[in-house]
Amino acid sequence: MISFLQPWVLAALPLAGVPLLLHLIARREPPTVVFPAVRYLQAVTREHERRLKLRHWLLLLLRTLLILALIIAAAGPSAALRQAGGHGPSALVLVLDNSPSAGQVVNGTSRLTDLRAAARRILDGATPADGLWLLTADGIPQRGTAAELSRVVDSLAASDRRMDLGEAVASATQVLGADTRPGGIAVLSDLQATALSPAEVNTPLLVVRMEGESPPNIGVASLSAGSQPWTIEGASVVVTLAGDSGRSAPVTVSLGGRTGRAALALVGTPSSIAVPGGASGWWTLRAFVDPDEFRADDERLAAVRVAPIAAVSWPAGDQYLQAAEAVLEANGRARKGPEVTIGSLGPSASIVLPPADPAQLGAVNRALERRGTGWVYDVIVPAPGVVDSGPLLGNERVLKRYRLRATKNSPSAGVLATVGGEPWIVRGADVVMIGSRMDPEWTSLPLSAAFMPFLDAMINRVARGQIASLAAAPGDPVALPDQTTGLIANGRKWTIEGGAAFRPPEVGLYYLLGGRDTIGVLTANLDPRESELVPASDAEVRSLWSGARIVEPGHAAAEAFAQVGRADLQAPLLWLAFALAVTEVVLASGWRRRS
Amino acid sequence: MSMTTPFQARPRFDLLDPLEASRLAGLELLTEGVVEGFLAGLHRSPRRGFSVEFAEHRMYQPGDELRYIDWKLLGRKDRLYVKQFEEETNLRAMIVVDASRSMAWTGDPETLLPKLAYVQRIAAALALVLLRQRDATGLIAFDEVVRQVIPSKARTTHWHTLVRALGALEAGQGTAAGPALRRVVDLLRRRGLVVFISDLLLDQTTALRALKFLRHRGHQVIVLHVMDPFELELHGPAEARFEDPETHQAVILRPKDWADAYRATVHDVVSDWRRQCRSQGIQYHRITTDMPFGLALRRMVASPSGLV
Repeated sequence: MISFLQPWVLAALPLAGVPLLLHLIARREPPTVVFPAVRYLQAVTREHERRLKLRHWLLLLLRTLLILALIIAAAGPSAALRQAGGHGPSALVLVLDNSPSAGQVVNGTSRLTDLRAAARRILDGATPADGLWLLTADGIPQRGTAAELSRVVDSLAASDRRMDLGEAVASATQVLGADTRPGGIAVLSDLQATALSPAEVNTPLLVVRMEGESPPNIGVASLSAGSQPWTIEGASVVVTLAGDSGRSAPVTVSLGGRTGRAALALVGTPSSIAVPGGASGWWTLRAFVDPDEFRADDERLAAVRVAPIAAVSWPAGDQYLQAAEAVLEANGRARKGPEVTIGSLGPSASIVLPPADPAQLGAVNRALERRGTGWVYDVIVPAPGVVDSGPLLGNERVLKRYRLRATKNSPSAGVLATVGGEPWIVRGADVVMIGSRMDPEWTSLPLSAAFMPFLDAMINRVARGQIASLAAAPGDPVALPDQTTGLIANGRKWTIEGGAAFRPPEVGLYYLLGGRDTIGVLTANLDPRESELVPASDAEVRSLWSGARIVEPGHAAAEAFAQVGRADLQAPLLWLAFALAVTEVVLASGWRRRS
Repeated sequence: MSMTTPFQARPRFDLLDPLEASRLAGLELLTEGVVEGFLAGLHRSPRRGFSVEFAEHRMYQPGDELRYIDWKLLGRKDRLYVKQFEEETNLRAMIVVDASRSMAWTGDPETLLPKLAYVQRIAAALALVLLRQRDATGLIAFDEVVRQVIPSKARTTHWHTLVRALGALEAGQGTAAGPALRRVVDLLRRRGLVVFISDLLLDQTTALRALKFLRHRGHQVIVLHVMDPFELELHGPAEARFEDPETHQAVILRPKDWADAYRATVHDVVSDWRRQCRSQGIQYHRITTDMPFGLALRRMVASPSGLV
């Protein structure tokens, strides 16, 4: 079978009719020349007319073939080279897309089932001399024999991990680079448009396009639980649906398995739903829509912590903190009490700010050391800087700050925010230390819109030991806080040493442990792009992966190894065009000599 | 004061370009000039003097045959003279001129005479040469019919009659050489000379049959095949409809494609005429209209049985 790298060039094929067109145009009535020796011309033409006609038609044919050859060569043709009894030793990487979208049901069958069947057919065509790899959504190429990989394929289920097909093709190319056999890549995927990304393809690439149209789909793209912790009265959550735009669907939100609150939400438009709270503790918040042909995105999770609002002891005389106290109390996010002391070191959890009088710094530092925070205030750094963006705070300007010095812990332990790479907010024991006073002379934070949410998070979560509320998609690396010593989810437990990156293997809530305390939660939900089931067009595939050949599943088995041994027909066609051109010149000029 | 050379005073019309010579003088004067020049050149020819009747002496010139040196005169005057002879004036000649439509054609009016104009001049010159040899000379002109008949006479003044007749010739339509040549048979009762001047774009079989008949009757026959240089090669636009002015038959072709084949065909036609004529003892000469008149006359003279 012949395929083309640039099939759009074939649109120029009608140009092959130009010689015939010119021939027909040239048949118009020519000018008349009076010439007495016409009888000689008649004698000449009688003798040569048949030969001349033959020559003209031959030249016409040659010129037409020449243009055809050039156009087809420009389209980049290639053809499969078949050996007797099969194919030669080849290296083949099967990219089998078992990302969540592979779970969509098309015509009553899971897309993954069709992909597995196509993969098995390809593997059945392999010989013992072939090198075979299987690359799935987990991103790890597995090498094996055809039988071994067939077993893996049979056991393959739809993963919660998104698969970036561009990265997968690049990985497969790297795998093939280490093999001396002629190599090729076969991509078996639903070709979800959002999963495609550019990749440099320098090996034969076969893309199997599955039959049947993707079903209409609506899924929950995001679920925001709002400010935490919740109070017992509950809070409003924001749900956004993804999928076929313009449609609306009922969405239900429930906390901890209780009867949920439902609302009609429009795809792409955030919808706010009030959810009553529960008893103090961690709760699982679920937002879900009615089941459809793609179930994986019908539900989305979030973690909610229900706790009484913090009882805060505010410092006197600090106008910005007093203003914040009024706002937070008015909104039910804080109340007066001794649970959290802000401004100075208190008897319980404290948020410590540098003293206004530098003379008191020594006393503050001594108190901090006695409390076992592991951090003290050092010298003033007058140089202005910007807060390094993080989960706690955005890019706020810091004009003046005390350098925070670790006294017993590692310099990175307990760091919550940094300025220019240096600690600016740290946590040790039950004390949070901030390097600057909440004053515009020190930082722009008191004047910014982020001030209230920052203080809310500090008094209600950070000071009370809940450090992190993280979100990620399954398979994505997540940097855990330094205080994390382990994770627990659905009865499984992971031990973490010294903070590290963690890849949640599937959808779920992963509670971060700091010793015996729960210091945060990592929420793993499907990548919202998985809800967009619309496949990429052939043109999009070819534009991203130059040279890709797209075939139907029925041809996948025959083409997967044939493509490895494909012959580039461009050079032979160019040689043919050259030969045709030479023949044309020889025929045109040689005939005149003979005549 | 300007110097005038004899050459400038009397240009050699016989060696000039035909069109240029025709612009310098009328038919009569030009013809005389051509013949004068032609004969002056001919005097140095070793072919002069094979006749049987003594005419005069002239100074020996290198190249003259030694057998014609008058040894007695050498003894008396101590100078070399050669004897010249004149043929008897009993030859009756008939010039047959083709005046068909094709003869009026020229490939380039800017540089070439039409074939008929060229033939008018060469025929007049030929007639003058013959009359000066005291040969009775006549003229028959024809196209699709016999247009002009002037019986042969040997009087010198007869040349003016011939020239007037030639000058009045205009191209007719078709070509039919048979009747004209048969008319020669009626006019030349005794053995004589027939000069057939034509572009030979006619029925070759009929013409050759008539010429053979003349030859059979004992006449010396000379065929002067007049061609335009543009008939030797095929020129024209990229593609053209070539139309015969006589028959109006046409052929559409690309000259570039057919040039070589056409050249070969012309060569074959000329060769065929030459071969057919020679096989019957007929002299055949091909001349082109860019050839000086003197050279054309000389070509006939240079033949084994030349006119003079």
